Amino acid sequence: MYRRVPRWKRILIGLAIGAATIWLVFPFYWAVITSLKVPADVFRLSFIPFVQFEPTLQNWSTEITQRGREVFGGLSTSLIVAVSTALLALTIGTLAGYGLARFRYQRWKNKDIAMWILSQRFLPPAATVIPFFLMMRRFGLVDTRLGLILVNVTFTIPFTVMILRDAFRELPVELEESALVDGCSRLQALLRIDLPLVAPALVSAGIISFAFAWNEFLFAFILTYSKATPMTVVIAGTSDTQGIQFWYVSTRMLMAILPPTILAMTIQRYVVRGLTFGAVKG
Amino acid sequence: MPPPELQCEVMSKLSKTRSSQEHSRFFFIGPAVLWLLVFTIFPLLYSLYLSLHSSRFLRVTGFVGLKNYHLVLTDYRFWQGFRVTLLFVLAGVALTVILGLLLALLFNHPMRGIKVFRTLATVPLFTAPVAIGYLCMIIFYEEGGPINNFLLAIGLDKVNWLSEPVWAKVAVVFADTWQWTPFAFLVLLAALQAVPNELYEAAALDATSSWQEFVYITLPMIRPALTTVILLRTVEAFKIFDIPFSLTNGGPGLATRTLTFNVYTAGLRDQNLGEATAIAFILLVVMLAVTFVFFRGYRSQYDE
Repeated sequence: MYRRVPRWKRILIGLAIGAATIWLVFPFYWAVITSLKVPADVFRLSFIPFVQFEPTLQNWSTEITQRGREVFGGLSTSLIVAVSTALLALTIGTLAGYGLARFRYQRWKNKDIAMWILSQRFLPPAATVIPFFLMMRRFGLVDTRLGLILVNVTFTIPFTVMILRDAFRELPVELEESALVDGCSRLQALLRIDLPLVAPALVSAGIISFAFAWNEFLFAFILTYSKATPMTVVIAGTSDTQGIQFWYVSTRMLMAILPPTILAMTIQRYVVRGLTFGAVKG
Repeated sequence: MPPPELQCEVMSKLSKTRSSQEHSRFFFIGPAVLWLLVFTIFPLLYSLYLSLHSSRFLRVTGFVGLKNYHLVLTDYRFWQGFRVTLLFVLAGVALTVILGLLLALLFNHPMRGIKVFRTLATVPLFTAPVAIGYLCMIIFYEEGGPINNFLLAIGLDKVNWLSEPVWAKVAVVFADTWQWTPFAFLVLLAALQAVPNELYEAAALDATSSWQEFVYITLPMIRPALTTVILLRTVEAFKIFDIPFSLTNGGPGLATRTLTFNVYTAGLRDQNLGEATAIAFILLVVMLAVTFVFFRGYRSQYDE
């Protein structure tokens, strides 16, 4: 599509790109400057710090010193839940991905198993949220981090299985075949030979799982209320306790947004492939 | 019996992938299958069971057949939720796909800054929807939010974004579209960049217009990716809960209360397990029916 583009068209394209960028960035930018404004400035239309308003770190320090326990409690729960989810989902996904890539299952065909695992993503969470709540209550897992981890692993298994299945398929079989001939077991071959080679896929699948677990809200909201509330539930409580104090709301929002988005930016190459479960190669 | 040479081929193929004899194959697939049986299939069956029973204080009290479904299907709140969900699905999917495709076409030229834009585009995708809801609440805030202040500044009237049913729906669709357009954009851009250049060169020789080029070359080439985007986007749109919850809390009235929202209010606020699971099952069936239309075409992309 590299044909010569007339000047007026180039200008138009430039304008469209500018508009798209503003559209993409504006909500974040607005949250950042809101968090830097004194309450009196928040409801005024002003965009540029130092020029249109005097920025202050007052909101951040109030939030951290006075409500630190709530916020850091939320952040650490989110961190623990998201990391554990990623590790557990990766373990299960690596095994299943390897199995689907290297063996041929017979009663159920490989692609049927893969589609069955993938179809988990097509289920509305609403369909399982109530039984989940009752199950967790039965086993004393309501308001625990373990309960949240179980939920989130369930939702992220399709990502890890599909991403790793793809990655193992792209490895030549010959590599591990020699190892198997030399007397390695399947598991040893997987751990020593294949795993290091699929490291990029592991990292991306891990980050995608981390982000989904970090961002999950419906189940967390229903399953936790005080001891194990992750950041999404903490920010949802903000509006109740603090009304329309947007200057505080935005500080919390930014703390909730930053970890998964920063991680996601590092796996650029895998985002498309990961989020489409390998259907589109990015 | 197949002829010997064919048999031989099958055998060698089998041994090459070392497939079906090794027992360790169950060890690999086992954990995933077991996990989903326990945490997906069992809850689904449990849900079905609950939807056929009455309950009190979160305890099942007796079998009632289809009574819960009857109650749900004659409840105006269900139909309101149903309409709202369908509206969000249609508007959300159409807007994200169209905007995403336009953006992808726009960026499908060699240009500076594309990497930066692509990186920025991943940010909304990995932002918690519930946080997006609050971000948009700040932006759409009626007394002194930036959008209304801007409208006033250019001499227009302010809009009741969050307290008027129609505008509240617009606000929810805006937030949802904002989150998901980058998904369509990134996937379609990847697909566009995979279209071989020779095709366009050949088209240039035939002096086709850019519209013809789009319809006869680009569109057929990116069709699989487009189907994937529409399918995955539709599935996610049916699940929408976080954004209406945080942005409008389902209101004003029931204006932005989706089916998932209804499951939450019926099940956990009113503690009516039977009706809540009945709503959930109807949602599940609707979703399956809609995705089934795409499913066969989609499935082929995962076949070996």
